[in-house]
Amino acid sequence: MKSEILYPGAFPMVRVYLADGETVKAESGAMVAASPTIDIESKMEGGFLGALSRKMLSGEKFFFQTLRASRGAGEVLLAPTVPGEIVVMDLDGVNEYMVQKDGFLAGAEGVKIESKMQSLTRGLLGGEGFFILKISGTGQLMLNSFGAIHKIELKPNEEYIVDNSHLVAWTSTTTYNIEKASSGWIASLTSGEGLVCRFRGPGVVYIQSRNPGSFGNWIRQFIPVSE
Amino acid sequence: MSSIPNALCFGDGLPAAGAPCHVVLSADGLRLIPLEGSQLVEESVAYSALSVAAGGLDHDQLVLSWTTGASARTLYLKDPALIVAFRRTAPPELTASLERAAEHVRRARHSHRLVWGSAVGIVLGLGLLLWFGSDLIVEWAVARIPIEWEQKLGEAVYQDALSKETVLKEGSAVGAVQEMTQRLTDKIPHNPYKFQVSVVQSPVVNAFALPGGYVVVYTGLMKKAESGEEVAGVLSHELNHVLQRHGLERMVKMLGLAAVASIVLGDQQGLIGLAKELGLNLVTLKFGREQETEADVTGIRLLSDARIAPDGMIGFFERLSEKDKARVELFSTHPMSAARAERLKAELAALPKRSPEPFSFDWKNVQESLAKSEPNK
Ligand SMILES: [Zn+2]
Repeated sequence: MKSEILYPGAFPMVRVYLADGETVKAESGAMVAASPTIDIESKMEGGFLGALSRKMLSGEKFFFQTLRASRGAGEVLLAPTVPGEIVVMDLDGVNEYMVQKDGFLAGAEGVKIESKMQSLTRGLLGGEGFFILKISGTGQLMLNSFGAIHKIELKPNEEYIVDNSHLVAWTSTTTYNIEKASSGWIASLTSGEGLVCRFRGPGVVYIQSRNPGSFGNWIRQFIPVSE
Repeated sequence: MSSIPNALCFGDGLPAAGAPCHVVLSADGLRLIPLEGSQLVEESVAYSALSVAAGGLDHDQLVLSWTTGASARTLYLKDPALIVAFRRTAPPELTASLERAAEHVRRARHSHRLVWGSAVGIVLGLGLLLWFGSDLIVEWAVARIPIEWEQKLGEAVYQDALSKETVLKEGSAVGAVQEMTQRLTDKIPHNPYKFQVSVVQSPVVNAFALPGGYVVVYTGLMKKAESGEEVAGVLSHELNHVLQRHGLERMVKMLGLAAVASIVLGDQQGLIGLAKELGLNLVTLKFGREQETEADVTGIRLLSDARIAPDGMIGFFERLSEKDKARVELFSTHPMSAARAERLKAELAALPKRSPEPFSFDWKNVQESLAKSEPNK
């Protein structure tokens, strides 16, 4: 699999070249266009209950579909839903990335995607929901952000504080705690603001330069309210 | 020597995400073998130079640190087999801190499990209650589904269902169905839905309504009808399935645990994902007996409010069920019964007498246009 970012900046798209028989996992809905040799695979094995339990446990199909070059080599164009950057990284087999659900765009065949339940406090307070994706394996991984993507590099024991709604991905060698940004837990919880993650290295944290939640609130004020 | 990496090394001059490397254990220390092209230099570290801790996001990685010359090195091991091997070969001096590290992991995992265990327990309890048919819980859960979720879900299934069909865009049949829908929806008080009705060209005698207000009427059903009032009767019944959220109730019942969990956790994506998986089932979803009666009764009242002659609905249902019940798809999703017909007649008798207002279209013309649009028949 080879890839190339087209139109880098706010409205990028990725062109993925697949050899005959190769596959790419892409976030459901990310496919823009493809060669006629590419098939979208939808599997529903093990009947209703089997599929349901698998979905509950792994969360797989919720997030991505598999595109296969089943009738010869071809290319796929992929794009994220929101305006923002795309980064491509090469997984080496040991590094493991935790990715918030909306941050995943696509991954090569060798990329392993699991969905992982967070600890309850992180799930409740962290703002990325109860499930995050744990991505490991080998090959190219493509992430997307809302706004520009910024990489924070942390040395062992170095700390950095990130507003949780700006998180995109972080390596599993980092640890983090959820903290209130200002005084007063009640104020933090009721306003829904002021919760931050204190990351501790070593490792890498990717953040996005825009906050999707705040943007939504900003946009909402221009939408007329229907009765 | 190139090998598969099994550890990440951090330190001065190394990449922030860690330099992948290969660790080999021996009796007196470990040997660090860099991958090709790495800035890392191959080195051997004695066990006596190491300090040990647990680290990483879930405290399940083994963290070894030491200093090489002036720079500090930190090594993260994640592979469980490698961690076990290290604990076996490392000398007793290191065991104390190793055991502390292992204890740390056990504690972290235990509390993690405990918290999730009780959360899953609560959800499971709710799910079990639901499984054993407590309609109250189904209603409670359905009442918590925002209209927007319902619309997204319905729209996704609607698009999917229509993509395989020939949808009529214009003509007198479409106009007639639009007029019926308009007359009916005008009389729905506090209607939160924007109803969309499509006419699909197909000999199938059917009509269905999806959550969120997406209604499909097949031309096969329209051909079998003797008047516009008969089709309006079916439409009114379908609209009321949507208004009473019957589809959602069936769905929540079918999905049980999973749906309740998604609703409790506010996981919209999860619920839509689940429902989308079962999308085609929504179209062929069979309603329950009580839901049929509810849709009949509220449907006939709506007809009366809209000044559409309500006996058309009863006549149509009776005529269809007399002829060839097995071949009428409408009854596979809306089971017909003698009791249902009786209830409808009783409801009709109880309705206040209102003089009906005729439709603006001529039903014969509508049917002729349908016959023309299908050249093979
Ligand atoms: Zn019905």
